[in-house]
This record gives sequence, C-alpha cells and structure tokens, in this order.
Amino acid sequence: MSTKRIVVLILAGAIALVAAAEGARWLEQRLAYRSPVAVEQQQPTPRDQAVEERQARELEEAKSRPYEEAEYREFPVIGSRTAIWVVAQVKLLFAAFVLAVPMFALIIELIGYWSKDDRYDRLAYEFTSLLSPAFAMTAAFGGVLTFMLIILYPKFTNYLMSVFSPTFLPYVLLLFAEAALFYTYYYSWGKIGKRVHLTLGVMLNLVGTGIMFIANAWLTFMMTPAGISEKGAVLSVWDAVHNYTWMPINIHRFIANIAFGGSIAAAYAAYQFLQAKTDAERAHYDWMGYVANLVAVAGFLPLPFAGYWLASEIYAYSQTLGLTMMGGAFSWLFIIQAVLIGNLFLAINYYLWLGMGRVGDAAARRSKALVPVLLGLITLCFAVWATPRSIIATVEETQAMGGSFHPLLGFLGVMSAKNTAVNIMILATFVSFVLYRRTGRTPTVGWARLGTMVQTGILLLAGGTVLFFGIYGYFVPAEVRIKFSIPQVLSVLLAMTLVTVIDVVLLRSARKEGETRWGDMPERSQYVLIFLAVTFTWLMGLMGYLRSGLRQHWHVYGVIRDTSPGAYTPTLGYATKVVSVTVLLFFLLIGFIFWLSALAHREKPGEAAEVDEGGGEAEQTGELAS
Amino acid sequence: MKVPVTIRLVALTVGATAFYTYVGQLVPQKEVQPPVVTEIAEDVTTEQMVEIGRQIFNGKGICSTCHTIGRSGALRFPDLDGVATRAADRVSGLGQVEYLAQSLYQPNAFIVPGFNPGMPQINRPPVDLSDAEIKAVIAYLQTLGGEATMTMDTPLRYQAGGEGAQAAQAADGAGGGDSAETTEGDAP
Repeated sequence: MSTKRIVVLILAGAIALVAAAEGARWLEQRLAYRSPVAVEQQQPTPRDQAVEERQARELEEAKSRPYEEAEYREFPVIGSRTAIWVVAQVKLLFAAFVLAVPMFALIIELIGYWSKDDRYDRLAYEFTSLLSPAFAMTAAFGGVLTFMLIILYPKFTNYLMSVFSPTFLPYVLLLFAEAALFYTYYYSWGKIGKRVHLTLGVMLNLVGTGIMFIANAWLTFMMTPAGISEKGAVLSVWDAVHNYTWMPINIHRFIANIAFGGSIAAAYAAYQFLQAKTDAERAHYDWMGYVANLVAVAGFLPLPFAGYWLASEIYAYSQTLGLTMMGGAFSWLFIIQAVLIGNLFLAINYYLWLGMGRVGDAAARRSKALVPVLLGLITLCFAVWATPRSIIATVEETQAMGGSFHPLLGFLGVMSAKNTAVNIMILATFVSFVLYRRTGRTPTVGWARLGTMVQTGILLLAGGTVLFFGIYGYFVPAEVRIKFSIPQVLSVLLAMTLVTVIDVVLLRSARKEGETRWGDMPERSQYVLIFLAVTFTWLMGLMGYLRSGLRQHWHVYGVIRDTSPGAYTPTLGYATKVVSVTVLLFFLLIGFIFWLSALAHREKPGEAAEVDEGGGEAEQTGELAS
Repeated sequence: MKVPVTIRLVALTVGATAFYTYVGQLVPQKEVQPPVVTEIAEDVTTEQMVEIGRQIFNGKGICSTCHTIGRSGALRFPDLDGVATRAADRVSGLGQVEYLAQSLYQPNAFIVPGFNPGMPQINRPPVDLSDAEIKAVIAYLQTLGGEATMTMDTPLRYQAGGEGAQAAQAADGAGGGDSAETTEGDAP
C-alpha cells in the first residue's frame, strides 16, 4: 500500500470520526428528556431532585468515612489476575526480544569484524534495527504493568517494594544506561571506530543482563522467598535477591531469550523473504533466516538442561512446590509442553532438511538418505514424551487396564522415559545439523574415513549411554534414579562438542560438490520459520504460567497469602486460552514492527543486492555454524 | 487466485495458536480453589473425624500428592497402607498417635529408612492445617491398617498449649519452604 493511500485513509478516518461525534451530539440533544416547561423556565423534576439528594447523601457518607488502604481492586470483565497476566506476559516477550537481539547482533558483528566481511556487519545492523520500536514497546508495557500492579494489587506491591527498595535505584539507572547505550550503539553504526562500537555492544549486553538479573530477583523471591522472617519482615535483602531459584532462572532466561529472540528474528527474515521482489532480496533474507534460526537452535538445545537445574532447585527449596509442579495440579501441563517441544524439534529438523536442497538435489541426496531414520526417531521420541502417566478413561477402560495407568504405555509416562526421549531428540537434531553442514562438501584429509567413523562411534556411544540410564532407571529407587539425568545430559553435551570439533577440522579443506544457492528455498521453509516463532512464543507463555501459577494461592509462597477473588488456580484450558491471547497480541504488535522495518529496508534494495546469489557464503556460514 | 502473504501469515499464526489452545482443552480440567479452614465441632464422633480426615488427606492437606496407599515398587515417599500398625512401634517411646502426630508436626524428626527428607510441617504454611484438622487426619490414618480411636479430646503434645507446641512452631527446614536441607528424616 502506497504512502499516499495511507494518508488518504487516515484523513478519511478522521473525518468519519468527527462526523460520527457530531451526529451523536445532535441525537443526544434531540432525544434527551426535556421538561414540558420551557427551557428558560425549567423547574427541577422529581427525578432531578432525587439524583441531587442521592449525590449529597453520598458526599456526606464519603466525608464521614475514614481512609482505608485498599488491599485489592478489581479490573472490569476479565478480573485483575488475568489483566496483570496478559500485560506481564506481553511485556516479558518484548523484554526477552530486546535483551536477546543485542546478544547475537554483537556476535555477528564480531564475526564480521574478524572475517572482514561487511555482509555480517550489515546483517547485525539489520537485526539491531528491529530493536528500536521493540524497545519503545517494552518500555510502554513496563509502565502499564507497574501502574496496574499499584492500582490492582496495592498492598502486595507495597510489600514487594519494601523488600526490594534498595534494588530500585540501580534498576532505574541501568534502564537509563541501556537506553543510552542502545541508541548510541544503533545510531553510531559505521560512524565510529569498530572497536569502540564493539565495546558499546558488550556494555549494552552487560547492562541488559544486569536489568534482567534484578527483575528476576523480584519474581523468584515470590516463588522461593528467602531473607525474610516467617511474618515477612526483611532480614537480608541480599538473601532475598539470592534466593533458591534466582540463579537458575537467570541462566534459564538468558538461554531462552537467545532461542526466542533468534526465532523472532528468523520470522522477520521469513516475512521479508515472502515479500521479496527480487532474487537478491530472497537470497539475503534466506541467509538472514538461516543465521537467526541457527542462533535459535543453539539456544534451544541446552535449554532442557537449564530446566533440569531450575526444577531441582525448586525441589531443593520445597518438595511440596516441586511435587505440585510435577505430580499435582500442573502435571498435565507437561503433556502440552511435550506437544510444543515435539513440534519444535520436528520443525527445526524439517527446515534443516529443506536447506540441504540449497546445494542442489544431486549433492543433497547422500545427506538426505538418513532423513527417514531421523524423522522416525524424532517422531518416536515425541510420542514417548507426550505419553501421560495416567490416562483419562471411562470406568470400564480403567477396569480393563487394572488402574489409571496403561499396563504398557504407563511405563512411558515416567521421567526415565521422558529424559531419554528428549536427549535422543537433541542428538537426532544435532545429527541433522552435521548432515546439513556436510551437504555438498567432501572431506579431503587423509583421515576423513576414520574421522567420520569416530564421529559416528561417539554419537552411538552417547545414544547408548542415554538409553542405558533410561532403562536402568526403572530398576532403582527414586533417590538414585533422579541422579541419572546428569550422565545422560553430560554424554549428549560431550558428544556434541567432540563431534563438532572433529567436523570443523575435517571439513577445513573439503571439496565442494555444489555451491550454496541462497534464496533457492521453497516458500514452505519460510512458513516453518514463522511456525517456529509462534511455537517458541507459545511455549514461553505456557512455562511462564507454570512458574507463576505454581505459587497457587500465595503472592509470596508460604508467607503472603493471596486473598483476592483471583486467588484460585484456573483450569489448564483457561490458562491456554490466556496464553493464546498474549501470543496473538504479541504477534499483532511485532507484525507492526516488522512492517515498519520492512518499510525502512525496502528503501535501500542495493544493500541486499550485494549478497552473492551464486554462493560464496557457504564458507562464512559454515564458519558461523562452527 | 493466489492468497496474499499477509493473509497466509495471519492464518498460520492464528491456526497454530488455535491448535495449541485445543490441546489445552484435551487435558483434565481442574480448578484448584484456595483451601479453607475446616470448622470441626468439638463434639464430632470418631467416625465423622475419619471422614473429615479422609477429605483433608485428599484435598487441603495435599497428602495424596506424594503418599500412595497400597502401592509398591520404587516410590518417592512411603506408602501409607498399614501405617497404623507400623506407627505403633516405629519409634521407641512413641505410641501410635504420638508417632503419627510427630510425623505431621515434626516430619524431619524421623525418616523412614530408604527415603529422603521432604515432607513439610503440616501445621505451618503452605499446608497450614489447624490442630483440629490434624487430629482428623490422624483419625483417618489410624484406619489404614487399624481402628480409629481419636477423639477431639485426645491430647497431642504439639498442639497449642501442649509441651511440644513451641517445637512444632519452629521451622525445621531452610529458606522458608519445606527444604530438604535437613539431616534427619521423613515420616511416617
């Protein structure tokens, strides 16, 4: 749509609005009740007198009432809890995006600096350009959230402020510093020395991480309070900050933000790819989507391990809290989570498999041979992970099964099976990535065959270790079984590290069988990237609900009880509806940001045109990947 | 006619979101209300106490979240089938009722061999049962392998005014929760 059309539409809208307002005023004058007496001699009607008397009575009552501090106020229609929930979640999604993009923009800028390749620098700049409107949106939602907390939960907000007041000044100062650093970082791009610019980027990331750490202290305190007496009096602010789940949440959010930010940036690239008019634009945005998705996957794969740590700290703080999460009211939430994560794994792998075609079908044939095996493996693990321990069944079905657990499938519903499934899915995705890197490249080093065999052996050994502990877990007590996730995780991480190191050396002087043709991707690959972004966002919303909802009827778990009308824990069905509303609201707003960025970048097609369509970036991308 | 990209993107976003919302409707739907103090009259019979205790066990007390009845194998917390019999001679010097009361008011005083600490003090937040509610739970536990004898007049050393009340009010976990950072064990 042209700018002229937009201006005309806005003007037409404004005229229509004024006409409607004037029409309403005219109608109001015509239809309003009038005394039969002439206007200039108007006498008060009985109704007028009654209204006047009521107002006077209410004023007198208000004067005689002593001041009372409100504990809660009600938000119309949807209630205070849901209103705060939606605003907090949308704010958090923008904040995650704003914190994540500078991280990988800086990394990409660094790669451009080291490789002296301007394309990386331009890519980093384009990622950063998304931040400006997102930054404003985060601040706006932050303000709304603060006001809503003060208005709707005044007493509890006051309590939190009394505990954490020493952290507010540093928080505000860091916010100012972040704004200053961000705008300097963005607007000084290419205009100051590169090293100074990179230093600004590092400082921006440090300040952003500091802001997140402080805000995390407030929310983790509500879940696992420390540093206070049983009555809630502050004993140590540092202990309140450094509570059981503070550092696990810091790490978990740090990694999750990277995955989420990468997926949103990839969705932006996909949006631009689908709107592209030229091959050069398509090539540029295909490459951008690939890099952003790579960042997202790099953040996604270690995320379950950070989740284990967080869960174990919740258990360490309170077995009751841990069991409410895993075995109580929230246990079925993990089945929904399994569906989401299964979809993420399938979509990530599908995108990698489609990407193999960039070097041509002939060159990709060898890599694609393993795809059916990987697909089967991931689907099987997905099914295992999504299998519930207990099944909703009729009385007859329950009797036939001999209980609420299925005699066979019930065994797949326990953590031994689920830990095994997720680790195998991670390994399978890693294999897809290794195959993608190798597509169209044949190692030429003398030990190529041996190296590949060693890589295969390492992966099989890791898979075997995961399976062994998964099966052995059924035969040992819970206190032993719970520790088996550690060797499972370590074997997978070790295997991924070793195989990557070998792969980098192995492919250093590899022979190319085909050039990477950026932009030569089917359109459906771009819809996969958008699906990934929606799924990541939905997953963040769901897990955010779990973390917050776990407290149930407590503002501060075990210390400050929630006595508001919204103190109950809603059904999972209701929770998923609220999560969906937040996701759609977020995408509506981020879509607006994408549209704005698209307008800005479409003015300069020359930049995108510089991307080499015929390839030449495979090396750089390989370098980035490694 | 080719569908515009924007329409496709909106359809994909709304479709994926709708699918996940649908999945959310397929799982069991349970709304958990904040617990309310159960008003127990002073003159309730033992049978009535058993019924009240059973309801608290499965509801407000959240006992059934961790403890099973009649299950064996690799359990995370002790199974309570037959606990009334075992409670009578589990800890020397404590009778059945005293042992059950100790396991609720001071769960870390004794840990069943093979299990880890983890049970919260039932008279303190987050569970926060009253003395009367705890008596009802004990009455119910007595029926698991035995016969209920509890009445509301049965004295418990940990209840308000009892000799162990101060100990029962003191936190024996860390961090404000029912922490596992204890050296002793978990009952019953």
